[in-house]
Amino acid sequence: MNRVIAFGVAMIAAMAIPAAAEQANGQKATDFKLTDASGKTVQLSDYRGKTVVLEWNNPGCPFVQRHYESGNMQKTQTAAKAGGAVWLTINSGAPGKQGYMEAPAARKWVGDSKSAAAHYLLDPKGIVGKGYAAKTTPHIYIIDGQGTLRYQGAIDDKPAARIDEMPAARNHAVAALNEIKAGKTVSVAQTQAYGCSVKYAE
Amino acid sequence: MSKFGFVLMTLLVGFAAAMPGAAQQAGQDNLTVELVAETDSPAAGSEVTIAFVATPDPGWHGYWKNPGDAGLDTRLDWKLPAGLTAGELRYPVPTRLLISGIMNYVYKGSYTQLATLKIPAGLATGTALPITVRADYLVCTDEVCVPETENLAIRLTVGDGVISGERRARFDAWRRVFPKPLGSEAKFSIADGVARIAIPYPASAAISDETYFYPLTTGALNYAAPQKVTRDGDLLVIETKAGGTPQRIEGVLAVGAGQGFSVTAVSGAVAVAATGEAGIDWSAALIAFGGALLGGLILNVMPCVFPILSLKALSLAKSGASEGQARGEALAYTAGVVLVVLALGGLMLGLRAGGASVGWAFQLTDPRVILLLLLLVLGIALNLAGLFEMMTPRFAGRLASGGSGGAFMTGALAAFIATPCTGPFMGAALGAALVLPWYVAILIFLGLGLGLALPFLLLGFVPALRRMLPKPGAWMDTFRKILSVPMFLTAIALAWVLGGLTGVNGMALGLTLALALAVVLWVLGRRQVRGAGNGAAWAVAVLVTAAGVWLVSGIEKPAAAAATAAKGAEPFSETRLAALRAEGRPVFAYFTADWCVTCKVNEKTAIETDAVASAFKDGNVAVLVGDWTDGDPALGRFIEQHNRAGVPLYLWYPKGGEPRVLPQVLTQGMLTALPGG
Repeated sequence: MNRVIAFGVAMIAAMAIPAAAEQANGQKATDFKLTDASGKTVQLSDYRGKTVVLEWNNPGCPFVQRHYESGNMQKTQTAAKAGGAVWLTINSGAPGKQGYMEAPAARKWVGDSKSAAAHYLLDPKGIVGKGYAAKTTPHIYIIDGQGTLRYQGAIDDKPAARIDEMPAARNHAVAALNEIKAGKTVSVAQTQAYGCSVKYAE
Repeated sequence: MSKFGFVLMTLLVGFAAAMPGAAQQAGQDNLTVELVAETDSPAAGSEVTIAFVATPDPGWHGYWKNPGDAGLDTRLDWKLPAGLTAGELRYPVPTRLLISGIMNYVYKGSYTQLATLKIPAGLATGTALPITVRADYLVCTDEVCVPETENLAIRLTVGDGVISGERRARFDAWRRVFPKPLGSEAKFSIADGVARIAIPYPASAAISDETYFYPLTTGALNYAAPQKVTRDGDLLVIETKAGGTPQRIEGVLAVGAGQGFSVTAVSGAVAVAATGEAGIDWSAALIAFGGALLGGLILNVMPCVFPILSLKALSLAKSGASEGQARGEALAYTAGVVLVVLALGGLMLGLRAGGASVGWAFQLTDPRVILLLLLLVLGIALNLAGLFEMMTPRFAGRLASGGSGGAFMTGALAAFIATPCTGPFMGAALGAALVLPWYVAILIFLGLGLGLALPFLLLGFVPALRRMLPKPGAWMDTFRKILSVPMFLTAIALAWVLGGLTGVNGMALGLTLALALAVVLWVLGRRQVRGAGNGAAWAVAVLVTAAGVWLVSGIEKPAAAAATAAKGAEPFSETRLAALRAEGRPVFAYFTADWCVTCKVNEKTAIETDAVASAFKDGNVAVLVGDWTDGDPALGRFIEQHNRAGVPLYLWYPKGGEPRVLPQVLTQGMLTALPGG
């Protein structure tokens, strides 16, 4: 009987809360404010009028490493920047977990990896990550100039690719950015993200 | 990291790199894969199953085909000799791992995936078949993920295809935890972001608390949301948050202990659990209420209730009570009946809403309740028989005496004891109560209670009826003793139910306790005759009852009886089949499982009918039953040989003729025609 009650409560909680904790394509993306690796506060709504790409990151995750070691992520970031978009990398790893970094280590990693992101944002409590229901690293969200979420999911369609096979992948992020820029609807607007799970605090 | 730590790490990594294979270093080979073929010498033109036996290090896990919110499935790159083809990699039933709100569908311990290779026909015996395959997979702890690769090789030689006993046993063990095809199609509906999947699954088949639907269709469901499992007759309904708007949902229904079923759900109507507002058919509800009222009325003449009621009525007539007193007692009795019926009904609805599978008279599946009822009914019967008088304890029944408190207790008791009698009369109305909105269901229970209370209510409010009752007199004592007979019959029925629940041991214990209670009550009666005090005797009676309830709760329920089978059927085995055919007998072999709805329907409507039994008897047909409930691999292989992935499978072996596979939906006529044709 206790289990039934506990289950009922869990069920109600699960049905009630995620409405606030998940972003739907075509809807306004929730605004947020985070501090970047150099101590600067960044707010999503500051970029109103520009397309914003959110990339969830964990330097310790092999999937992330593959995209950075091959230069694929930096290439995507550069392409986004060239198209007028702002690239925000977010680390939602909790202290003590894989990929967690304090600001100095994050600055070093950004330099070493030659990331072309505008900011490397630290979210150790996972508030923004959970608010966007970011599940994996990498996990990509694209928000257009009106603040509407247009794409969420994987960076490309080759989850298991080795570095030498990666050029053959369809880069969902680049494709979506090009479509948004051309004023078209995003043809592949939602995909199953792949990679390591985001290392949230319990 | 400190400088010292960094130096130490560098040294260690250098050391490990210098000695490959000496020690397992972090991030390399956290999962080993062994390749095993079911036979090393497959025959040309046949198939051979290859097992990928994966063993993760402690604390590490591998991923299912749909890894969940994160993770990755296994990818294979085969290098096969010309002409060979490889089938898709198949996965056993997974488990789940929820870390910080992220759902992973994983294998925590050792697990085995299977793939089938097709060997082309026309290869000469002795032809070498070198097989290599590169497996890319992901292996993780709760903290760290590592993509790994294994280059595996195995050397097969074209031969006779013989499978050794040792290999067969290993593969059989692995196959047991693979999802079995459910056969029937499931339906799903998505409304307001909630997905409901209705999976055909017999009401009689067991499920565990671990029942879970693992979606294969990506994005169809929200993986991390809890799943609510309810049973609606022969349907299992999974309710959870939807993730998108899929065309169809594929997945695996796991019911516990590695047992699972492949499910394909297509879009369709799924009955929504009572939500309140929408479209209640009030006329249907009223008909159900009327039916319940009638059913309750009929209950009054059942042996469980009749003696209590008639004595109560007689006591009312005997007391020559005033109008007001008669009404008061009638109302108190009605209140007792209705409260108990509503309480039982409400409890049942509550338990069902919580996902438990209970029906009416659910309290009668608990042996302790049965024993309590048995002792209570025996006590009443002995009281009616005149062994003792129930005068002193003011808290108890006071069945034959007056007072509205006594009337209330009588009503409550009558309703509680009446439930075992409800089944046959009330089946339909109560069945409706379980699928209707809760307030309509309560209305039906209310009808049942009012019906049960109705005769006494009438007696209380219609003086003319009271006057029609026979005049009190000495005959009443005889009548009372006669009424003890149906009460003793009720006690026997309860002893029988107890036996069904706890086996002969439980029944013997129950009867022994009944005897003990009878002795205590007999002593009590003797003392009453002498006019001695009897408080101690009542205490002993309560003690005996309490001790009995405690004792009976310790009795293990006997193992469930084997699946019901047609009369004279024997368990299926290939040797028995061969023996029967050698005898020259026609054989009807059928394969069933507790979880297969189609099988159960066929058994009830065709196979287990008298017409078929007599036709088979006349034709000297032997019936063999293969029970595939636990996925017995030997039966599985036999079923596969007949180009079926699962049950039901019906085979007819005419005398000396070729075997015939019968359709999956049987009719009685089809079966009775078999022996002749």
